[in-house]
Amino acid sequence: MSDAILEVRHLSKTFGSNQVLKDIDFTVRPGDVTSIIGASGSGKSTLLRCINLLETPTSGEIIFHGESVTGGKVNPNAYRTKVGMVFQSFNLFNNMTVLQNCMVGQTKVLKKNAQEARANAMKYLEQVGMAPYINAKPRQISGGQKQRVAIARALAMEPEVLLFDEPTSALDPEMVGEVLEVMRSLADGGMTMLVVTHEMAFARDVSNHVVYMSEGVICEEGAPKEVFSNPKQQRTREFLSRFREN
Amino acid sequence: MDKFAELGADIALLWGTYASRYLNGILNTLILAVTATLVGCLIGFLCGVLNTIPHSRQDHAVKRFFLKLLRVIVRVYVEVFRGTPMVLQAVFIYYGLPYFTDNAVAFRGIPGIWAASLIVVSINTGAYMAESVRGGIISIDPGQTDGAKAIGMNHFQTMTSVILPQAIRNILPQIGNNFIINIKDTSVMFIIGFFDFFAQHRNIVGVNNMYFPSAAIEMIGYLCMTLTASFLLRLLEKVLDGSDSYELVQGDSLVLAAGTYSHPDRGTPFDEHSKEQRERIRQELKHGRTRGDR
Repeated sequence: MSDAILEVRHLSKTFGSNQVLKDIDFTVRPGDVTSIIGASGSGKSTLLRCINLLETPTSGEIIFHGESVTGGKVNPNAYRTKVGMVFQSFNLFNNMTVLQNCMVGQTKVLKKNAQEARANAMKYLEQVGMAPYINAKPRQISGGQKQRVAIARALAMEPEVLLFDEPTSALDPEMVGEVLEVMRSLADGGMTMLVVTHEMAFARDVSNHVVYMSEGVICEEGAPKEVFSNPKQQRTREFLSRFREN
Repeated sequence: MDKFAELGADIALLWGTYASRYLNGILNTLILAVTATLVGCLIGFLCGVLNTIPHSRQDHAVKRFFLKLLRVIVRVYVEVFRGTPMVLQAVFIYYGLPYFTDNAVAFRGIPGIWAASLIVVSINTGAYMAESVRGGIISIDPGQTDGAKAIGMNHFQTMTSVILPQAIRNILPQIGNNFIINIKDTSVMFIIGFFDFFAQHRNIVGVNNMYFPSAAIEMIGYLCMTLTASFLLRLLEKVLDGSDSYELVQGDSLVLAAGTYSHPDRGTPFDEHSKEQRERIRQELKHGRTRGDR
């Protein structure tokens, strides 16, 4: 297990009396693209938010490079610079331009100077095809463009792991394509990614590990080929059959 | 009609004699109102930021205790200074502080009056602003905080870089409200001898008994100040909103042309957006500008 970059051990999360995650256990190795699939309300997003410490796990551990980040010894802010996150609702800073969005983390948190941050931001904006829009405000660009900027913002911090929380769920079908294309190229580039998604084609074709969650537990996990073509659990079969019909 | 003519003549007479004193009063009022509003805003922002420091059950007990204490202190401050008249606060601070501290803290002479007035109006404005800022911070989408935290910002960085700039824009009308209220309400500082616009009126009519003409001058004077303030605040809002359009940046001029070519009826590769934009502009031209899409 020493080669694991991120380990989730016996993670549970309760909101009041509602147990959202029960004893979640899985491992992410460098270069892994893990897709987390499952019905809405099965705890996928909460799991991702727990991994980024946006929610505090009720019990269990999250281990990053062999060190527990839930024990209070690791500064969560320093940890978050290494584990980036892309949200369903983009969450671009509305008071900044596209370029500033990608620079602010570098200058304020990583303490880079403005020129370096700018060059770095431009590199990633170029990569997601948003370089022409650096002077636009988030309210002036489309959803797909916002999400691509959000990905560039996360990349500009040069994280070791990138978490995607339903990155295409708020987009119309045409824009889903442009965002998935960016994610696919990231995966090809060897980025370690953890993707909560309803895009079954992406989970099947791009990821090398699929986790199916149902009612707060990991119901089934494995290689995409295994999970998609030969699901072992009844619940997985039912869930996937609904997608095949569409 | 002749009553108005008489009033006009009296006003002219008063203004002719005492213009410099009225103007001096206006100047004092404005200096006090501007400074106190700015300081009050700072106090408000500070309270707002301190009040929203997140804490969870896993935090250390000492940290949780201090955060709780901080919130209680801010709460008491807001309730006390929002809930009592500013005239009485002025009395308590100007006369009360020297009395209770055996003159260790005392306000002497004109500078003392200025200091006491500034303190009273500032902390008063601060108490109101604390609540406004809290509202402004709450009104910002929690996703903004998530986004800031996800790139590793701490609470202070999140507040100063992301939340407050947006909150300030949202509460600017309330800051304007407070400023205008301050222009008028600094008049109660006559109780501790502050020479503002209204105090000049009391002084001048004390000499010549021309109450009504002097009051008319006061009315016009205050209205001019507040109207100017409203105008400047609107202007500031516009500046903060920034331009509605943006420039595409592209090194390669061919690519630039390819990306931005826009025939009014045909659409562009970025059709989704430009259609919306065009429709919005059309609506704005038709019905005037709305802020509903914010």
